[in-house]
Amino acid sequence: MSGLRLRLKSAPTGRLDVSCLQPAMLTAESAATVARMPFEGGALGDLFDITAAGDTGTLVLEGATATCDGIGEGMRTGALIVEGDAGAYAGRFMRGGRLDIKGSAGDYLGTGMKGGLITVGGSAGNFTGAMTPGQKFGMAGGVIRVGGDIGERAGDRMRRGTIVVKGKTGAATGSRMSGGTIWAEGGFGPGAGPLMRRGTLIGPKAEQMLATFADCGEQDMVFLRLISRFVAAELGPLAPPPLPARVRRYAGDLATIGKGELLLTG
Amino acid sequence: MTGIGTMNVNGVAIDDTFAEAFGMSGTGLVITADTMKWAMIAATTMTGFGTSVIGCGAECGIDCEVAAQDTPDGRPGVRVLIFGFSPDAILPQLKNRVGQCVLTSPGSACYNGLDSPQRLALSAGPRFFGDGWQMSKRFGGRRYWRVPVMDGEFTIEDTCGVTTDAVGGGNLLILGRDRAGLLETAEAAVAAIAKVPDVITPFPGGIVRSGSKVGSKYKGAVASTNNAYCPTLRGTAKSELDADTIAVLEIVIDGLTSQSVSDAMRVGLKAVTDIGAAKGVTRVSAGNYGGNLGQHHYHLKDYVA
Repeated sequence: MSGLRLRLKSAPTGRLDVSCLQPAMLTAESAATVARMPFEGGALGDLFDITAAGDTGTLVLEGATATCDGIGEGMRTGALIVEGDAGAYAGRFMRGGRLDIKGSAGDYLGTGMKGGLITVGGSAGNFTGAMTPGQKFGMAGGVIRVGGDIGERAGDRMRRGTIVVKGKTGAATGSRMSGGTIWAEGGFGPGAGPLMRRGTLIGPKAEQMLATFADCGEQDMVFLRLISRFVAAELGPLAPPPLPARVRRYAGDLATIGKGELLLTG
Repeated sequence: MTGIGTMNVNGVAIDDTFAEAFGMSGTGLVITADTMKWAMIAATTMTGFGTSVIGCGAECGIDCEVAAQDTPDGRPGVRVLIFGFSPDAILPQLKNRVGQCVLTSPGSACYNGLDSPQRLALSAGPRFFGDGWQMSKRFGGRRYWRVPVMDGEFTIEDTCGVTTDAVGGGNLLILGRDRAGLLETAEAAVAAIAKVPDVITPFPGGIVRSGSKVGSKYKGAVASTNNAYCPTLRGTAKSELDADTIAVLEIVIDGLTSQSVSDAMRVGLKAVTDIGAAKGVTRVSAGNYGGNLGQHHYHLKDYVA
């Protein structure tokens, strides 16, 4: 038994929902069987060249574009490698497994995910790790690592889990956040943490910090070591350098219960 | 006077008897600090007054030092073990010992030190010291609490593993004709046992000089002196001692598994027989209750090479 490689025969002209391409399910079948599976009014083989390749349990999606939505949605096990870009809702509601997107990802990456690991080589859109409309909470577990920047409102209503960004974040990161950690190596965009109740934002700088965040001064906290080691263990070579021994802590958002924190490492 | 068969190893008589031990519950913690010195201070303090479940509520001890790279926060650590009759009996001990001795120790943090599916609510007491300012962080499958204290934050893991397969009461009785030499030999045995993972010797320095028997002539006393092994009573009470025995020291061993206790018995006995009669040790025996009370029997003859 090996993995599968699905190569898009041509770039989709409109939105294409590929959330049904689940590694655990598809890699248990032969390439020929998968090619006959119904998809979008036809069969998978109509849109994809399908070959057996790679490691067991691994599905490679080649040629994906920013119009391919729902990649790896609800994944529980296995690995899905996207050679190309991902559209909206990639990794939404993921519970386990690994989703590697070599290119960039669209909006709502990893929204509502509860477990597993998502890596994005490029950048990600708005509402990364946030809640999707109609849901009560955002990301509740797992790890997202983005190699570039992420858009606005990352971690909106996030409860648990960890987001690591090599670049910077857009405006209002951690809005309405009630738990979890967002670590932005490049810093936070304007107005981070609006109505943030709990949770942790870590970065070297924050633009236009909200007036409702209180300066707690420099702090030396054991917890910084825990997160550095956890991220290093999860991400290996993709992990950022360990956090410094001291950070400047701002507590907020004091417009709510103010038990969240913005930790500046710069 | 032994009354039972003996073997002789390096001039030391080994009784053909067995240590009788009991099933217990046990948990492990890793305590870290900025330096090994302060991790050890916290560990030593929290395992104090933890010699016997009868009077102390738990049997506690230090298992080993943990290198910085092997602790959750990358700082030097010490692994402590706590044993009790049941998980429910250990929980209040955890709450008090961690709350009073680890939380209070400068720079300390406290983590689970035993992988087990059965869990104890390690943070259930100490985290409420935060008076509402405590914060929870979950990384992977592990949840931690950050409790604000005067030197920053006290970090404590939410739960710790507990096993009901632990064993308490493995023991060696070392008899001799020279009290100082006997103590040196017992110290060597404790040092050897300390290298065995998952075991502790909970008494002072790992050694007991007041072995007990069950019951007493006095109402309300659940245990009393083991008169059969008291040299000063030889001749006035039924004695298990030879004529030249002037002191007996006992090493009590608790372990997270029966195998670990067995390993400790083996290395402890070997340490004694390696020294042999040179320091005045004449005989090694073991404490038992006839074999009907404890589920675990460790026969000395099994450990004689």
